[in-house]
This record gives sequence, structure tokens and C-alpha cells, in this order.
Amino acid sequence: MAKEKSLSVLDNVGDYILHHISNSSLDKDLILELPTVFGINLSVTKHVLMIWLTSLIVALIVIIPTRIFLKSKNEVPTGISNGIEAIVSFIKDSIVKPNIGSKWSDTWSPLILTYFFFILVANGIGLIPIFDFIGASSRFLFGINYGENSFANKLLHGGATATGNFWVTSALSTITFVSIIIAGTRAHGFINHWKNLVPKGLAWPVYIILIPIEIIGMFVKPFALTMRLAANMAGGHIAILAILSFIAIFAEVFQTSVAGFGIAFFAVPLVSAITGLEIIVTLVQAYVFTLLSAVFIGMAINVHH
Amino acid sequence: MEATTLIPIGMGLIVIGAGIGISRFAAAAAESIARQPEAAADITNAINLPLFLLEGVAIIAEALTFATIFFKNT
Repeated sequence: MAKEKSLSVLDNVGDYILHHISNSSLDKDLILELPTVFGINLSVTKHVLMIWLTSLIVALIVIIPTRIFLKSKNEVPTGISNGIEAIVSFIKDSIVKPNIGSKWSDTWSPLILTYFFFILVANGIGLIPIFDFIGASSRFLFGINYGENSFANKLLHGGATATGNFWVTSALSTITFVSIIIAGTRAHGFINHWKNLVPKGLAWPVYIILIPIEIIGMFVKPFALTMRLAANMAGGHIAILAILSFIAIFAEVFQTSVAGFGIAFFAVPLVSAITGLEIIVTLVQAYVFTLLSAVFIGMAINVHH
Repeated sequence: MEATTLIPIGMGLIVIGAGIGISRFAAAAAESIARQPEAAADITNAINLPLFLLEGVAIIAEALTFATIFFKNT
């Protein structure tokens, strides 16, 4: 028996918030339909579009100024490449070198730098509601009416935080998981890497408990990386949307719009403060993911128990 | 009291746990920087990692609690 579609705000608000945070489902809201190759549906969803946008922005910001600087034969970079150099040297000196050691630091710093730039830009463009702003202003200010299924309408529903989806962050963590194994193998050899999981010279009953714990820990560490980043990003957005939805809920419960205005007087500054906190959280979470990946790779390379 | 009323109590307990843990970190850091001001950068770097690990544990627990609320019917 189909459920009656209720018009009350209180019944629907949870679904609205979840719908805003989560990815477009495979039968509607797709931005571009693409065929299914080898059982994987390649259609472009909201988060895929945001990942492409992030990659484009990172490529433009990092590659083009660096090429200009390399061709210009200056001693010191100026402009955007100056900022890029500041970030790169900060990460190399404070994250990569202390944890990985100077011998392998040139091998692994491209990966760590990619993590930092990608997560920073992906978190950042999720925080700027540019798609919602363009959609709302074009619909209400300029009065342009997009068709229900037109490409522009689907594109304008597209703004989202790509790293708020735990599948995206689990892709990044899988890269970390494989990198840990590769780093230990390159530094010590394949068998020695697995032998280095447990310290040497303990009594043999200890090994029976210690080896399963270390194997479980090997999987739990990347899992914690995924959930930390995804939950921080998604949780921030859910908090902002929940507080903004108080306006509609209060207006419905008291059946007057004055209650809505009254609660908006408190809700909107609170949401602005939470958005300021979110800016700090995006920077910190990018830094933490990068730092922990470097620490885990370093633990596989410099084994000292 | 059925099971679903205990979920918000659980979330509150998570916040209490994270609050107690992080405040102990901050208190230890402030005290040790007060004892030896030239080691401030070293102490900050040493605290960074466990602080974020603890915060990650709290956030993961909150996210899983959200998941039990929102996906209760599926």
C-alpha cells in the first residue's frame, strides 16, 4: 500500500535534508546518462560532477603557474606559484620529512601533496553554494524557467560536497592502504614488510594475540580515515540545513509566518557562525587526512617499535 | 522506554566523552607550555596527532548514530 504523500513540513524535512546531502540516485537526477560498461554504470551524478570540477581547479591552479614560472627563469616565483610554493614547502617540511624520512620523502611527497590539494579544494567548493545561488537567482530574479528535465536544470541541482560521500573518501583511503603496502615493500622487501607488523623478540604466546590485532588494525586505520573525513563534511552540512529548516518547522507549527521570521532572526546568524566553523573544519580535515596518511606510510618505512 | 529513545542519549554520551578527553589534552598542553615556553612548537606537534584521532573517533560514532536513525526502516 503506497504511503500518502504528506504536505506537512515536519514529515518531509528529514528526507529533504538527506536528499540534499546524498548523491543523485541512479534513476533520477542524473546529470548525464552514460551507458553501463562491464557492469559499472558510468552516468554522471552530482558528486562525479563535483569531482571533475575539483580536478579541473587543482590542475589549473597548480600546473599552469608552475609552467609559467619554470619558463620565465626567475629566481623566485611570484604570483600564484608563490602561494603554491608556500603550501608545498609547508607540507614537505612539516608533514612529509619528519614522518617519512629524507630518503623516501621525494618518492612519496607527490602523493601527499595531491591528497592535500584535492581534499582542500573539494571541501572548499562544497562550502560555496554557487550552484544554488545561480539557480535561485535565475529562477526568482530573472524569471527564467527551466524545463523539468532540461540539462540546465539538472546541472543547477548539482552543487554538493564530493568528500561528504563516503565512497569518494574510501577511494582515497584505498590508495593509502595500497601505498602503505607498497612503501613497506620497497623499503624492506615483500616478506619483511609483513614481518615488520609485529615487534621482534617477544614470547610466542603474545604473537597469537598480537598478529590478529595488527591485521585488524591494518584495515581499521584506512576505514577511520574515510569515516572521519566523510562524517565531518556531511555532518557540517546536515547541521546547517537542520538549523535552517527550523524556520519552516516553526512557521508550520504556529501556523503563522511571524514565527518563521522570529526564529530566522536567531537561526541565520547561528548558521553564519557555523559556516565560519566549517571553513576551519575544511582546512583542518584536509591537513589531518594528509598528516595521517604520511604517518601511516612512515610507520611502514621506519620500523621502530 | 523503547530502544529508539536511547539513541539521543547515546549521542549525548559521545559528546561528553569527547569533551572530557579533549579538555584533558588541552590542559596538559597548556601546563607543559607554561613550564617550558621554548618547547611550545614541539608540544603542539606532539598533541596534533592524538587530538585529531580522538576527534575522529567522536565524529565516527556520531555518524554511525545518525545512520541508525535514518536507516532504521531499511
